[in-house]
Amino acid sequence: MFDDVRVAIARRDIASLSRERTIVLALAIQVFIAAFSSFLVVGLTSMYDPGSVESGELTFGVSGETRDELERAAGSAGVETEHYPTREAAMDAFRRGEVVGVFHAESVDRRISVTATVPDGSVQSTLAVVKARDVLESLERDERTRRAAHLQTRPVSLPPEGDGSSYFGFTYTVLVPLLLFLPPFISGSVTVDVLTEEIERGTLELLQVAPVTMADVFDGKALGMAILAPAQALLWIALLVVNGITVANVVPLLALVSAVTLLVVVLGAVLGLLLGQRRQAQLLYSIVALGLFGVAALLPEHPATVAAKLAVGSETTVSTTTVLALSVLAVVSYAGTRRYVRTIDPERY
Amino acid sequence: MRPRKVLRIGRWEVTKNAGGIDRKTAAVVAAALLVLGAAVPLVLAQGGVTLDEGFYRVGVEEESPLYPVVESDPTFAVRDSDAELGSEIDLRIVGSQVVASDSQKGASALSELRSSVDSYNDRVMADEPNQTAAFPVTVTVTYAERNLTIGPADGTGDGGTDGTTGDGTGDGGTDGTTGDNGTGDGGTDGTTGDGTGDGGDGTGDRDTDGTTGDSGAGGDVGSIARGLTGSDEMSGTPSEISPPFPFQSLILAFLFIIPLNFVIQAYGSTMLSERLNRRGELMLVTPVSRWDIIAGKTLPYFLGAMAFEGAIAGAVIALEPGSGSGAYAMLAVVPLVLLFLSATFLGAMFARSFKELTFVTVTITVGLTAYAFVPAIFTDVTPIALVSPLTVVVRDIQGVAIAPLEAAISTLPPLFTATLFFVLGAGLYREEDMFTQRSIPLKVLDSLAGRIRRRRSVALMVVLLMPLVVLAELVAVAAIYPISLGLPRPLWLGLILLAIVTIEELAKSLPAYAGFVHSRYDRTVRSALVVGALAGLGFFVAEKGLLVVQLLGGLPEVQQAAVVSAGPTAGIDPLVGLGLLLAPLALHVVTAATSAVGMRSGRQGYAIGLTAAIAIHFAYNYAVVMLVV
Repeated sequence: MFDDVRVAIARRDIASLSRERTIVLALAIQVFIAAFSSFLVVGLTSMYDPGSVESGELTFGVSGETRDELERAAGSAGVETEHYPTREAAMDAFRRGEVVGVFHAESVDRRISVTATVPDGSVQSTLAVVKARDVLESLERDERTRRAAHLQTRPVSLPPEGDGSSYFGFTYTVLVPLLLFLPPFISGSVTVDVLTEEIERGTLELLQVAPVTMADVFDGKALGMAILAPAQALLWIALLVVNGITVANVVPLLALVSAVTLLVVVLGAVLGLLLGQRRQAQLLYSIVALGLFGVAALLPEHPATVAAKLAVGSETTVSTTTVLALSVLAVVSYAGTRRYVRTIDPERY
Repeated sequence: MRPRKVLRIGRWEVTKNAGGIDRKTAAVVAAALLVLGAAVPLVLAQGGVTLDEGFYRVGVEEESPLYPVVESDPTFAVRDSDAELGSEIDLRIVGSQVVASDSQKGASALSELRSSVDSYNDRVMADEPNQTAAFPVTVTVTYAERNLTIGPADGTGDGGTDGTTGDGTGDGGTDGTTGDNGTGDGGTDGTTGDGTGDGGDGTGDRDTDGTTGDSGAGGDVGSIARGLTGSDEMSGTPSEISPPFPFQSLILAFLFIIPLNFVIQAYGSTMLSERLNRRGELMLVTPVSRWDIIAGKTLPYFLGAMAFEGAIAGAVIALEPGSGSGAYAMLAVVPLVLLFLSATFLGAMFARSFKELTFVTVTITVGLTAYAFVPAIFTDVTPIALVSPLTVVVRDIQGVAIAPLEAAISTLPPLFTATLFFVLGAGLYREEDMFTQRSIPLKVLDSLAGRIRRRRSVALMVVLLMPLVVLAELVAVAAIYPISLGLPRPLWLGLILLAIVTIEELAKSLPAYAGFVHSRYDRTVRSALVVGALAGLGFFVAEKGLLVVQLLGGLPEVQQAAVVSAGPTAGIDPLVGLGLLLAPLALHVVTAATSAVGMRSGRQGYAIGLTAAIAIHFAYNYAVVMLVV
């Protein structure tokens, strides 16, 4: 398939990468992203779902009319309550720090009107609001059930509570696609670099005297970059598995990453050869690559969704078809670009 | 710098630099933007991108009461209820019985189903004729101050680095009356927040803040925990209550960062292009200073970035009701823009090829985006969020009053850091470094030596390095803290101290070493002692400068935590503080002189001297921490 010339060029490019310590840098970046993402996961989830952060027992003060219902609801939401005769007494306890929040309930035209007081501005506040919401939603469900006679449709009863981690969905829908698609993006960017650097330094003309064609040069450079990203993706998958995140369908995932890599490498090569200057080519590459990623939403399944589904093992025929279609598209566009490269005269730069 | 020359170079950069943007590029850009612009409405018409579409597979019978719930939530893919649990489906629903597969996925699918049922019920109930039965509970959430005096509930040593994981059993301590958190709010303790304190209680409650008329809403950070309404209450049905999370403001703030990544792409390219084929040499031999060249080449990109940011700010202010004037937001992005540009400039000076520059640019993008974005997530939770200027942007979008001191705290450190990066990069903007492939360690020394002319410049260089020192210490503490959770206390304290001491000694000795390597200093013992003492003095002044600000009640305790050898903490008698202030001066001078004497004889001597200095410093710090804590 490949004769020595192209392999030599690919090897040279990859060797120069490792000599420049950029591979090390790339991996450092990715480790950083992984660390950052896990931090982000924990941080965001604790903000978004503070209940997921281990917390001590929260006690709410309860006062007002319908306190029995409130206390029952609090019991089912796993919140301690403390009863106070008046709202003032409850608020005093709140200010003394004995309770984390106060529910004061009154009946207002056949509804229960609850005033929930929570501490101002801290992690506590977020936590208290979330817990208060749990209690009040539970109260709302109980009340609906009590008044079911007045309702046309019965509310659907709640399934049992699962002990699911709130990071689970985020890990597969955000983290995995991020880690799998970042290496291809960087690969395409580096393809722009290796070509524009030859052009800007004027070394591309030297290849005229060597027994290689422009197509060979293109093959060699693209090959080096196209191998790099799937290898990184594989490394990632291994790291995820070590960290206890099971990844299903490794082979289809690698096929997907390879197809995407080949596509962006072709994009980077075309832009690099077309414009011949890194500044413009790189800028355009970023715009077009990100744009294509956005436009991919028009597909029946976005590649990021495909990656998430494959990784978690919920793949459908559409996912598999997407992988196949992207692979075919990548190979076809590569062949087409090769024809275009043959027509390029290195003298023109 | 002479403005006329800077402007001229800036004009060249726009018009002449390698053809600027030629017609071909303009055409391709226009075409690309046109295609993308055409695609946007299509994507939106599709309902945007839902990443978790069909993520969980649920086997459910048509007649099950849960069927409409599963069907209406795109996260679930409806399957046959007879399918194999685990391999083909994650949940099986027969009637109203739900069985989850025995895996993490099954458990998560069950949690997801619970929240789907809740929102489905609310949707169904909204169509009920009898609304009082459908929504029998109305809620009003009010936020109230807790004027706690120092009591047993006051957590001990609230964690600086622990802000996100404090377990909330301490108190939220809006200690408005005394402005002093009393016990255990120790800087040294802050680094090791022991998890029993509370995370959200930042800076001993900036009572300075209560007087700034924070839209009359109580004056503490909590006054902005209002979502976007800016009102002091939320009311509605229970499911409409949302925790104070500035989601929309965050997304809008993120818009400010996006254009910077494109700007630094172009900026990095143009800076590295100067170094190819000796292109920049002509500029170097003209009678302009290197600062003129750097400023002139940077100016167009800075102005371009600010124009983008101005447009974004204008759009956000116009679209977002209740947002601030945008002036603070614009003020806060200036250091961010400069930070992006300066880091890219330094990267372009160090990079040896386009490939390397790409990796450097990606690193800068990821790192600085994380730095700007992550703290801003906690805008409404803790004052520590102010380490990022983006927090000021978020607050401005929310329409919250911002105290000048707060704006200064979040903008000055990145400004100093950007200045440092430009100074270091300028050290490399010379013929020897630009057009040859020198090794990275030599380049580091060159960049440090760029500003060193005489003995006292070593002190200035050490002062300039301070932001990097604080940053490195923060990262080191954050990295070591989780690793050392299981270790006995003296051991992990030692580990953290060792990391910090090593960073500080490197910062003190490297500029001096660069001076020796570049033969700016005599290799005599006397000169080494003087240079070392000056470096130590510079470090002491910078470190104590931080501390004085902190004693005045300014710095968030993140920085407190970073300056461990700082001994005195907020709440200590200023006189005692002053006494403790002067003790480390001797230490810094002695250790810096130790490594300076060692480095006279070259690399090996430097290694020996540095090791000795680290040992002395470590012993001192360990003793202090053990005595104080």
